[in-house]
Amino acid sequence: MNAIFAALFLLCAAVFLCSDPNGFLGALLSGGQKAATLSLSLVAVYCVWLGFFKVLERSGLSEKLARAAFPFAKRLFRSEDKEALYLACGNLSANILGLPGAPTPLGVRAAERFCAAKNRYAADMLFVLNATSLQLLPTTVIALRLAAGSSSPADIFLPTLLSTALSTLLGALLLFLFSRRRADG
Amino acid sequence: MNFAGLVIPLLFAGVFVYALVKRVRLYDSFTEGMKEAIPLIVSLFPYLAAVLMLSELFEKSGLSNAVTAFLTPAFRALGIPPEIGKLVLLKPFSGSGSTALLSELFSAYGPDSYIARCACVAYGSGETVFYILALYFAGARRKNLLPVLIALFSNFAAVVFGCLLCRIL
Repeated sequence: MNAIFAALFLLCAAVFLCSDPNGFLGALLSGGQKAATLSLSLVAVYCVWLGFFKVLERSGLSEKLARAAFPFAKRLFRSEDKEALYLACGNLSANILGLPGAPTPLGVRAAERFCAAKNRYAADMLFVLNATSLQLLPTTVIALRLAAGSSSPADIFLPTLLSTALSTLLGALLLFLFSRRRADG
Repeated sequence: MNFAGLVIPLLFAGVFVYALVKRVRLYDSFTEGMKEAIPLIVSLFPYLAAVLMLSELFEKSGLSNAVTAFLTPAFRALGIPPEIGKLVLLKPFSGSGSTALLSELFSAYGPDSYIARCACVAYGSGETVFYILALYFAGARRKNLLPVLIALFSNFAAVVFGCLLCRIL
């Protein structure tokens, strides 16, 4: 990440120097501003879902749900850490249901635990699954199409579902293959 | 789409009623969960800010337009309409940016056009990879190029596949 950041940053800076030196600081500031507003809205989202998940945890429901998904998650992430697996399961199911904002707080905490346990494969797998989008119902797209006056806004459901399934499966498979090669070599 | 609207209220009501039956102190638990929200966002903020600044630089410097123009022939060869090339490139960097771009494409070509449908699939099948990277590996001091490349590649393959599907379906 350090190398990518440095390379892209310097490249952009060089382009700014040649074309529009005065726009440089403005672009940085507007990025910072976006981060600030995004963080505020994320705080609201985290409050709702972390509160909800605490209730879920206390009621004992989450343990029941996790127990059902456990054998699968253990193999998927190659981890025995109950707490982290529970968080990861919650993250994946919230992703699939498309609950807005719910996956992030769970996923971030699961990734922290995986990283702390030096379980690199699990953290990578969690990242790839999240970064290839698991969402079953593309709610944002459908709402946008409806707003734009589409005659059948939901008809992109099938192609989207198929291609997002492809991206997730492909990602998981590639990571699996690469990690095996790494383990062998 | 009424069903989707019902999911969240039902989920909350269902879980809260179940919790009440199990004699959970609802108010105490709900607020206790929220306590973690601020520390979580504080630990994420620097990474979020850096990534968003970089994506803003990339966009405003005109580099993103230049890269799009450069890649147009390759996109066309893969069956991706050149009109959505920018969306494909922007999607890994910026969620709000690609949402804005998607609605621009809707108004330019009509929401039911082939281009708009491809754009929907490109938007829906991928994720903002770099944003997720900033969140999930915040502070993890390790090389994580491989999962990033895998995610980008898989999402791109899905776009190619999705454009093909849009032509058939």
